[in-house]
This record gives sequence, structure tokens and C-alpha cells, in this order.
Amino acid sequence: MKKILQLTLGIVTSVGGFLEIGSVTTAAQAGARFGYQLLWAILLGTLCLIFLIEMSGRLAAVSKHTIVDAMRERFGFPFFFFVLIGMVIVAFLVLVAELGGISFALQILTGIRFPWWALPVSLLVWLLMWKGTFSLIENGASLLGLVTISFVVAAFKLGPDWSSVGSSLIPSLPDSDKANYGFLAVSILGASISPYLMYFYSSGAIEDKWDRSYITMNRIIAGFGMTFGGFLSMAVLVAAALALRPKGLQVDTFPQAALLMTTALPRWGFYLFALSMLFACFGAALEISLAIAYFFAQGFGWSWSEDLEPSQDARFAFVYTIIILLAAVPLMLRVDPIKVTMLSMALTSASLPLAIVPFLFLMNDPIYLGKHRNGWISNAVVAIVILISFVLAIISIPLQIIGG
Amino acid sequence: MDSVISWLATAGMAGRAWLNHTTPDKYTRQTLELSHDSLLEIGNGLFKSLPAGVDSASLDSALTRSREHVALMARLVDQKDSPDFRTLLDSLSADETLVKQLADSIEAKEQ
Repeated sequence: MKKILQLTLGIVTSVGGFLEIGSVTTAAQAGARFGYQLLWAILLGTLCLIFLIEMSGRLAAVSKHTIVDAMRERFGFPFFFFVLIGMVIVAFLVLVAELGGISFALQILTGIRFPWWALPVSLLVWLLMWKGTFSLIENGASLLGLVTISFVVAAFKLGPDWSSVGSSLIPSLPDSDKANYGFLAVSILGASISPYLMYFYSSGAIEDKWDRSYITMNRIIAGFGMTFGGFLSMAVLVAAALALRPKGLQVDTFPQAALLMTTALPRWGFYLFALSMLFACFGAALEISLAIAYFFAQGFGWSWSEDLEPSQDARFAFVYTIIILLAAVPLMLRVDPIKVTMLSMALTSASLPLAIVPFLFLMNDPIYLGKHRNGWISNAVVAIVILISFVLAIISIPLQIIGG
Repeated sequence: MDSVISWLATAGMAGRAWLNHTTPDKYTRQTLELSHDSLLEIGNGLFKSLPAGVDSASLDSALTRSREHVALMARLVDQKDSPDFRTLLDSLSADETLVKQLADSIEAKEQ
């Protein structure tokens, strides 16, 4: 009974915690500019994420190691340190973007400009980290994030042409604006395959004391949770394609994105969008802050657990305190969160090989996983998606920069 | 031109939503102000890159007019003046149609 409850909660929180500023912004921009044409990128990213999340949980359940622990042990500290630098830079940018998403949601609700919200929001995130437990962070924000299901309602109400939706799941090139199309594809992949999710998930499995008996449950949570989450991203893209594209409205700023659901849900669409962003970004900000603190603490061999008092894992608590406060600074200096989001998503894509390739080696190591190591299908799917993502990133990022 | 159309559409959508009482006053005013500023900024650079033979006078006058309409709409939000706001919104829709036609002609000339 306890496992069934855990399973249900796991799936529900995966759905509620799936969307964040990156997935909403990239999907809305893609839908507004290219209609359904980039749905394939969400499908590909979600498929890869299902495999990666399942692997992260399996590694923790079988080997009792988090990804970071195993990576440091298997490849040595110098290599780990190299990965740490890359991952922390990207995760920090994503954290800035998430705090920006919360601040912007508060701006459109109250009219008070987002830089004023940056510090109070950061302090609230920090306070929850300081006082909260792992299950509060894992479940609380994600349950509130279920409001993002309103994107699915909006997409259905707009009456999409399902045959066009289906055919867009196969990649195709647009007639014009190919550089922007490639950049958006890269950003969508980066938003879907966020490595911080893997670190958070594997650390969570250790926090929740998973063992081999959780392997099936892990598979179901990863499969169903991420699939339904992927549907949410697709719903954002479909809603943007139907509500914004016919008017020629492109999503370059957050106030423009706020109009996404006002056509489908005239009465509540605006407020549902604001609340969706508020809760989704809040959950993501908590998870990223924790993931960065886990990365440092596990990598350097410090004591760590969100369930311990800060005095018992002072260095762990110190890392998230500093990171959260630093992330507020660019926002207070009026750096545009949408620009940070797009940059961080594209950089995530470009840095995926750094995070994923060593992880794939771990997942094929019999010392850690014994008979539970990866089969060829999981290896092939992840390797191909990461390769596509990396190649697209190194081609489209310079083109996008040159094109302004 | 895509950006001009996008900001005109933003002002139009935000305006219609406000008339339906589904968005807060402050959000609507800020979005209209942002649309105005963005149209001004884009307009400054737009005329340098227009292909030859484009009716730039018509485009300039449509852009200037629509910017003025958006600025007035932003002010009317504070005054909660719906009838005048609706009239301006209709005018903005007409500007939007004209700008789209000009954008089509620019695209045809570029090809």
C-alpha cells in the first residue's frame, strides 16, 4: 500500500514538476513562430529524459550511489571537478531564469517590476530550503504545479488539427528562418533534458532510501511522469501555435507570453498562466538549488541531506545559501530572464555530452549495476539524442549570435 | 517587420483582454507601454533596411499612428475609459492590417 501511494505521488509530482520557465518559454516561442513544426523536438527530448531519469533512479536503487558519488569514485576527482564547473555554471544560469520566472509572474499579477521581487523571492526559496524537508520540496511545489494542466485544457479548447499535430512529430525543416528554427530546437532539447533533474532525482532516491525493490516503481514513475510532463510542454506549443501565431505575436518577452491562454480561457487564462509560472518556477528553483548543493557536497565528500538540520550539514547549507543569493543579483540588475532562459537552455544542450557521456559509462559498469546495467536500446536512444542535440547546438548557437 | 507585427498584435490582444475585464489594469498598462517603446525602437532601425520601391511614407505614417494609439490606450487604462479605449483598439486593428499588407509587399520585393 505504501508503495502504491509512493508510486501515485511520484507520477503526480513528476507531472506537476515537469514544466518550468525553460520548457514554457521555448515551447511558446516555437509554437508562436513555427506552429506545430517543432513538436518533434519535445518528443525527442522527453523520450531521452524518460531513459535518463529511469537510469538515475536505477543507479541509486542498485548501487546506493548518487550520480555524483559514482562519477567521482569511477573517474577520479580531477575529471569530476571539470564536470562540476561546467554543470554548476549552466545550473546557475537556469536558477537565475527560474527566479526570474517567479519574479515576472509576480510582476504581471501585482504590477510591481520584477527586479523588486528578485530578493524577496530568493529569500523565500532559501527559507524553504533552510526550514523544509526533502519531501516538502519534492512534493509540495510539484503538487501546486499541477495547475500547469490548464495548458492542456487551453490546447484542447483551441481545437488543434490532430493530423497536423501528428505529422509534426516527424522532424522537418521550415522554408525560411532556419537558424532560428535550429536554435529553438536546441533550446527545447536543453529545456527537456536538464541534467540537474538527474542529479536531483538520484539524490532524492538516496534521501528516500531506495533499494532494488524500487526498480519497477522507478521505471513506472519515469515512464508515466515524464510522458505526461512532455504532453504539458506539447500543450504549451499547440496553444501558442493556435492562439498567438495567427496574429503574428512572437514571444520575445514575458508579458507577451502571459497572453497565451487568454484566447482559449478568456476569463481565467491570464491568472492560470501567472499561477502556472509562479508554482512551476518555484518548484524548479528549489530543485536546482538543491541539485547544486548536492553536486558540491557529494563531490567533495561533505555530509548532506535536506532532511538534516543546517547545523549538521553546514557546508551543504552554505552552498545553497550563497547560490540562491547570487542568483538574485542579475535580476536585481534588470537582466532579462527570457534572454537568460534561452541562453541557459542552449548552453544546457551544448554541455549535455559533458554530463551524459560519463553517466552512460557508469550505467554500463557491472561494478555499480551488476545485472541491472543498461541494455543497448537505452544506450542507443540516449547517445543519439545527445549527439543530435550537441551538433545542433554547435551549429545554431553561433548562427543565432551572428544573426542577433 | 515581423517584430512590428508582433508588438501590434501584443497591444491588440492585451487591449481586448482588458476590455473583457480579464487582465489587471497595471499589467495592461505596462504591456501597452512596452509595446509602444518596442515599436519606437524597432521603427528607428527599420527604415535603414527597407528594399527599394517600398512605400516607406505609408509605413512611417502607419507606424507613427499606431504608436500614438498604443500610448493613448495605455493612458486610458488608468482612467478606466472603456468607450474611447475601444475606439482606439479598432483604429489599431486597422493600422495592423495596413502594416501587414506593407509587410507582404516588402516580402514580395525581397523575393
